[in-house]
Amino acid sequence: MRCMRVCPTEAIRIREGKAVILEDRCIDCGDCIRVCPERAIRSVVGSYEDISKFKYTVAIPSPSLYSQFGMSVSPNQILNGLKGLAFDDAYDIGRACEVYITVLKEYLESYSDNKPLISTLCPSIVRLIQIRFPDFMNNLLSLEAPRGIAGSEVKLDKAKELGLDPKEIGTIYITPCPAKMMALNQPQCKSESNLDGALAISDIYGMLFSSINKLGSMEELHNSTGLGISLSIPGGGITCINVDNAVAVDGIKNVMNVLDDLEHGKVTNIKYLELWACPGGCIGGPLAVENPYITKIKVIRLVQQLGRERKIKDDEVNKLREYLSCDVKLSSLPIKPLGRDALDAIKKVKERESIIESLPKIDCGACGAPTCKAFAEDVVQGRAEILDCVFKLQDKIVESSQYALSWARRTPLSFRKRGKRTST
Amino acid sequence: MTEQKQDEPLLEQVFTVEGGDFIHAGEVSSKIKKILKEIGVSQDVIRRTAIATYEAEMNVVCHARRGIFRLAIAPGRLVIVVEDEGQGIENIDLAMQEGFSTASEQVREMGFGAGMGLPNIKKNMDDLNVTSEVGKGTRVEMGILT
Repeated sequence: MRCMRVCPTEAIRIREGKAVILEDRCIDCGDCIRVCPERAIRSVVGSYEDISKFKYTVAIPSPSLYSQFGMSVSPNQILNGLKGLAFDDAYDIGRACEVYITVLKEYLESYSDNKPLISTLCPSIVRLIQIRFPDFMNNLLSLEAPRGIAGSEVKLDKAKELGLDPKEIGTIYITPCPAKMMALNQPQCKSESNLDGALAISDIYGMLFSSINKLGSMEELHNSTGLGISLSIPGGGITCINVDNAVAVDGIKNVMNVLDDLEHGKVTNIKYLELWACPGGCIGGPLAVENPYITKIKVIRLVQQLGRERKIKDDEVNKLREYLSCDVKLSSLPIKPLGRDALDAIKKVKERESIIESLPKIDCGACGAPTCKAFAEDVVQGRAEILDCVFKLQDKIVESSQYALSWARRTPLSFRKRGKRTST
Repeated sequence: MTEQKQDEPLLEQVFTVEGGDFIHAGEVSSKIKKILKEIGVSQDVIRRTAIATYEAEMNVVCHARRGIFRLAIAPGRLVIVVEDEGQGIENIDLAMQEGFSTASEQVREMGFGAGMGLPNIKKNMDDLNVTSEVGKGTRVEMGILT
């Protein structure tokens, strides 16, 4: 029930004790995973066994992994710890982040639409816009995210280095959220993802923790500044690109409010919008382990320590440029109108409004819908029947028992009428 | 009168906006937007209607005590009529000019009252008809072809 109530797009219904997801509304934000007391909702992330499918496997951790351990654990220790698991190598995504921010800056300089450019780092935001705000489709930043750049660099360049087929190299993203896993199957930039799979931070945390504790001598695996790490908190990227009128918003409901305000012109003059489904950004992801408010301090300290200047050189940026360009033209996936045509839809809107009027409007949830309003829509769409509302059912029982009672009160003609004292 | 019968709305919805309520300003616009999406009205019409409705809402919030919004959807056309109880507009032609505003300093400091309300509605809708009685209120009727 908690998942149904918390879902920001009202995509969950409860049927026979289980949560059912309406796929066309789900944006993979993972809010349901966070609140499920039974841990019944799980994200489709890969398993640890996937690693053995490849000749050479590289772990590519989200920058949010760097802040999941105590203050004294460095990014380099974390990468070495990862390598100590079943991976052949661990790649520092900070490098890909530096390329990304460099190209983003250029992109912003040439961007002139009067609506803001919208960051596509968070795949849930992209889906939210496809489903609920199709008017902003053309404002989505068309650049591959650092995780994709990293995947391409590892897969293609490492293959050459090792003399292997790119297919034999496994690129496994270590993710703080299910959305990025889903994005592998529904690419948002490159039609073919160079990431082969994803593992949840929460699934490998225990193993990684002991691997870090056992570390002896270490390799230099971390070779980037704080730029990449800063992308794991809202606004972190904005401080790096130095653009006026850039705004960061986190939490899906807040994001929806801002997009709504933009749609009717309440908010104007924003050049760049960095939107995050999770409160706290990636470190607040449903598959991250540490408390995001505590980790935020670590992120800030790491960025201070490592600096915000980019380490990557211009010629390297140019070499990686092709990995950033998108070949997928995203199309909107708007929620279908209520009816077959306008007339049918209008009929259904009216029907729904009159059903809402007749409901108690306390959003009890017993019908398996998050609100009375959503239930009314389920009824007109044929997903539920009006008597699935316990209050409507009670009304019906009262009505039919009164009817039954009227028959029960009938007496045969030869009998005395009840309550009458007549003598024959 | 016979023409009106042909235009009989298929759907009517009524919303209220309270003057001075900046917190909820924008809600009617959002609700209308949602209904239009459900009916399957084109993106462009939804966008223009949402902007115009929001401007009308802000006009009520900034200048009137309260306003009633009536959305009527007819085949091929939708109309929103806003009737408010407020100070009214002395010179409608002047109010239709970009940049003309009688908004108080307080309202302007909040970033509203730039004198773009009615001109912006006119720009986004297909027709606009404003009538007003000073001291009583204003009636704004705006229509768009769908």
